Amino acid sequence: MFRLLWQELRFRRSAIIGWSLGLCFFPLVYIAIYPSVAEEMAGLADLELYQALGMNLGTFSDWVGSILIVFMPLVAAIYGIIDGIGTLAGEEEDGRLEMIVTLPLPRWQIVTAKALAFVISSIIMFVVVAVVSLLVFQSIQSQIETELTSGDLFTAVLMAWPLVFAVGMLSLFLAAFCANRRFASMIAAAVLVVGYFGSNLAVSTTALEPFEPFFLFTYLDASGTAVREGQAAGDMLVLLAMGLVSFTLALFFFQRRDLTVGLWPWQRARVV
Amino acid sequence: MRNYLIETSGLTVYYGRHRGITDVDLTVEQGEVFGFLGPNGAGKTTTQRVLLDIIRPTSGKATIFGLDCQTQGVELRQRIGYLPGELALYKNMKASQFFKMYEYLRGQNGRKGYWQELAQRLDLDTSRKIGNFSRGNKQKVGIVAAFMNQPDLLILDEPTGGLDPLVQQTVLEMVREAKADGRTIFFSSHILPEVQAVADRVGIIRDGQLVTIQRVEELITQRVMRLNLTFEVLPPANAFPFEGVTELSRSERAVMLEVQENLPQVLTVAAQHNIQDIETINVSLEEIFLTYYGKGNGGNHV
Repeated sequence: MFRLLWQELRFRRSAIIGWSLGLCFFPLVYIAIYPSVAEEMAGLADLELYQALGMNLGTFSDWVGSILIVFMPLVAAIYGIIDGIGTLAGEEEDGRLEMIVTLPLPRWQIVTAKALAFVISSIIMFVVVAVVSLLVFQSIQSQIETELTSGDLFTAVLMAWPLVFAVGMLSLFLAAFCANRRFASMIAAAVLVVGYFGSNLAVSTTALEPFEPFFLFTYLDASGTAVREGQAAGDMLVLLAMGLVSFTLALFFFQRRDLTVGLWPWQRARVV
Repeated sequence: MRNYLIETSGLTVYYGRHRGITDVDLTVEQGEVFGFLGPNGAGKTTTQRVLLDIIRPTSGKATIFGLDCQTQGVELRQRIGYLPGELALYKNMKASQFFKMYEYLRGQNGRKGYWQELAQRLDLDTSRKIGNFSRGNKQKVGIVAAFMNQPDLLILDEPTGGLDPLVQQTVLEMVREAKADGRTIFFSSHILPEVQAVADRVGIIRDGQLVTIQRVEELITQRVMRLNLTFEVLPPANAFPFEGVTELSRSERAVMLEVQENLPQVLTVAAQHNIQDIETINVSLEEIFLTYYGKGNGGNHV
């Protein structure tokens, strides 16, 4: 399995470099420009529009939370969808998976190698973004007033990773379960988008409050307090558990799956 | 009891409501070349995919090397080289990188770097990216990948598809050499002359059901015979009204018959009409194949 894992990581070399550079856009631009927009942003803190988007821009910590801790994982989650779905359903649809499953490897190892490759590649991206955030922060620290430390910022970025893990594993499960890539991608994207807007709107709309636990971003606290003090352990555990359950389901369904024929699980054992 | 290398019993696959294969009972012996024939959608690829545990059977059982294809797939795939019918490869890789990766992932059973010899033999430039290859060159990559591990069993789905005639001959030579080394080859094809050239036995599948399994020479010599009968006086049109006997043509003094059954009765009638000459015409595998698939011919289920 380690050979396949190594190979899967090699396949992701370009993705790791490209996505890391892309995600670094957030700290390189949004942290770097903060000193020049700090006063304006403080005045926008109470706008409902921003609150509906989960943004509170009053302090530097709030700014980091609203921009970096929300949007960076939101974009990184797209990598989770592309990787999670592409690596099984995508390879199945374009036929490459047929060569892999005929290797002398049990199917659970194939799924596990792909899941681990995603985990490692996404962690590398987050570490790169955390390091770049730290460096940019240190370069502007003297120009702003904040209680935030470099360590707090570094940890805050890394603590957003479980959300991407959850989305990646959910996508892997959908790829193992669904009959086609497009449908799996659609569901994963819907979970992400609804999870983002739903959790933000639930804060200001009482009708959505009962559904708040079902929105993915409910478990990612983007407040300035969370940036300084870290995410709640319970929230992180929910996201990690969601990812692990999705991974287990991916193993289960991929193990039972008829590959290359594009059928849903309930169609497979049916005899007329 | 005989030990077969591949054995399936009652193998049935349904894709939802759609038939894949039904009750396929198949045996392939150690060291033989088995040709698997059938039109598109007959179930050739489905059968091969079940053997490799890509698809799970709805019912029935398949074993290779005495190991269950579904529960002991890892052990048996160690000893199998596979060429899929719809070959998909990593387009951004050079062929050499692909072979190295494949060698690394499989773990090498045969000679390390054997792929280089095979690639050279097939005149494949391994320094080029796979995405830039023609269909024929991609097929060569698949063939090298299947053979490079020197497996005990080769499962090849349409191995010569997309290849030029010279390379086709090289591939058939490779199949013969693999057989000479004691390895077993199970391959499907539409190209009947090549099956005739290398296969020891053929299985014909139609509409998901195995129609027949025969040794190639038996199939050619026994199942269908074409007779050109010359008479002093031509017998009437309905002189051979026997099952399995078809009058193909008649001229002034000769009648051409295709005989699948009731040969003694044909000869008796011919003798009664003062036959002067009997000519037996060789029937190619292709023509036999068409007797199983021909229009209006229900085929002979065996």
